[in-house]
Amino acid sequence: MEAIVICRGLGKRYGAGDTAVHALQDVDLEIHRGEFLSLSGPSGSGKTTLLNHIGGLDRPTSGEVSVDGRKLGELDKGELADLRLEKIGFVFQAYNLIPVLSAYENVEFILQLQGVHARQRRERARAMLSEVGLEKLGERRPGELSGGQQQRVAIARAMASSPAIVLADEPSANLDSAATEELLALMSRLNEARGMTFCVASHDPRVIEYTRRRVRMRDGRIEADERA
Amino acid sequence: MERLKLISALAWRNLWRNPRRTGLVLVAVSIGVWSMLSFTALLQAWSASSLQAALENLTGQGQVHARGYLDNPGVARSMPPPSGALLAVLDGTEVKRWAPRVRVPAAVQSAYKTWPVSLMGIDPARERGLSFIATAVHAGRGLDGADGTGILLGRKLAKRLHTGIGKRVVLMSQNSAGGMAERGFKVVGLFSAPPQIEDRYVFIGLARAQSMLGMGENITGVSFGLRRMAELDTFIGKLRGAAPGMDVQSWQTLRPLTKAMNQLSSSFIQVWIVIIFVLMSFGIVNTLLMSLHERVRELALLQALGLRPRLIFAQVALESALVVLLGIAIGVLAATATVLAFHRGVDLGFLARGSEWLGAGRVLYPRLDVTQFAAISALVWALGVAAGLLPIWRIVRRVPVEAINRGQT
Repeated sequence: MEAIVICRGLGKRYGAGDTAVHALQDVDLEIHRGEFLSLSGPSGSGKTTLLNHIGGLDRPTSGEVSVDGRKLGELDKGELADLRLEKIGFVFQAYNLIPVLSAYENVEFILQLQGVHARQRRERARAMLSEVGLEKLGERRPGELSGGQQQRVAIARAMASSPAIVLADEPSANLDSAATEELLALMSRLNEARGMTFCVASHDPRVIEYTRRRVRMRDGRIEADERA
Repeated sequence: MERLKLISALAWRNLWRNPRRTGLVLVAVSIGVWSMLSFTALLQAWSASSLQAALENLTGQGQVHARGYLDNPGVARSMPPPSGALLAVLDGTEVKRWAPRVRVPAAVQSAYKTWPVSLMGIDPARERGLSFIATAVHAGRGLDGADGTGILLGRKLAKRLHTGIGKRVVLMSQNSAGGMAERGFKVVGLFSAPPQIEDRYVFIGLARAQSMLGMGENITGVSFGLRRMAELDTFIGKLRGAAPGMDVQSWQTLRPLTKAMNQLSSSFIQVWIVIIFVLMSFGIVNTLLMSLHERVRELALLQALGLRPRLIFAQVALESALVVLLGIAIGVLAATATVLAFHRGVDLGFLARGSEWLGAGRVLYPRLDVTQFAAISALVWALGVAAGLLPIWRIVRRVPVEAINRGQT
């Protein structure tokens, strides 16, 4: 299977000398197209840091990351932004949506950035919202949506641009059980039906349970890499 | 283009997500701009009024004299009436009015007192539109003409001399032969003018003055006013070319204090604008920074989603530009309304004669100077936007990772 993400000898150190913190140490990881993968581990284990490096939000101290064949270390800030726009979808724990845009506009936002034609853009945004079951709430702004609905809009937005991979960081952290269940079912369905690649950082057992590949981290290293 | 539309829409909506904060910036900017423009209009009205008063108080926009007259004014330094090239230039289309005059030191004597004055021999018809004397007669009547027999005194001088309309006074001065010239005149009118003029000048007909002083047709100078003040320097050059033996001076040389006051007024306007702008920009930048610090995670999200840093910068800068522009628009409207409300004049009568002592008229006429309003507005807008650029760039540079996942590993 084709590797979408390749991490080789990835290391990240904050600070220097005795006070240095090694957030990532010599991490080797490949994520293949169509995988539904979880990064788990206790707080401070490095899962969010690893996700940030895969998403080009942070630069490693050592090693390198490639996404869909492009080495992130060779890209400047602007090129990284372009790569994220074209190849990577993000779902964060909170602050996922732009508050001054409606749900529909949030989904359309990415497509507009990509320069998709207005009519196509509208159709795709509506289709994505429909796919996550929010077609009737498209005009609402984020403040008028529940946490679970906001996460579903974020997934619709992530999917809208047909990225190579969707990176989700603790997507269930602010959700109740029912909303978490709905969200995971949605991600699982999109993974199976559309072959969408998901990489989810979480320490929530319910989330890990849903994924088909489980990478466990501790002290900045990969401790275990299992397939369900 | 699509991206520009996107960031414009975002910028506009962000402007109204916190109406109170935006309102505060709008109030600060609009009050600042209103005060800059209104105050500038008022100061310029004051400046224009002072200049007008100074020029009408016998100076004119310029004068022509015989060489040496300005250093030692007297009948000995007289000149023939304009003729030839000089007359042709003075009769040119750019000249609004010009008038020949005799002005010499003299003494006026009433039955009660003698007082030093400047004797002005004028042709009343030619003074109309050039100096105040044509319209300043407060009591009695004006001079009959260049050869009228009466004399005009200032109200203050008449009071000082214990004289009045219908009474006689005697004028004494040195004649062209070096002897004493002395002649009696009947007071036909009292004029009203700034105190220093009322007390120091007396007016008689030009021909009477020439005859009394034994000058023949000679005069001591010519005063002129142009249709457009902007042409003054060129015109002075033309006059000097036409009358190389004469001393031709503009009001700036003749009234250095007026010139200095005029320049001071312009400098004061500039200083005022700088002070208001500095205060205003503190408000703008402070509010902008507060707003940005609250939105760091949102800016980080935009970058994570693939918006290039320079587009995020442009979006926030656009927000700043829009709010300053709106504030300026409100300020300009308010200032325009203020100026229009006073277009019939701001009456400084409550300052009694103080304003006249300061050289300004009693009524100031603020003027709507569209070019100046536009220039000040553009300057404030450009500087207001520029003031926010560095802080915006600093914040935008910090995102995304420090902001978006703060406290998470």
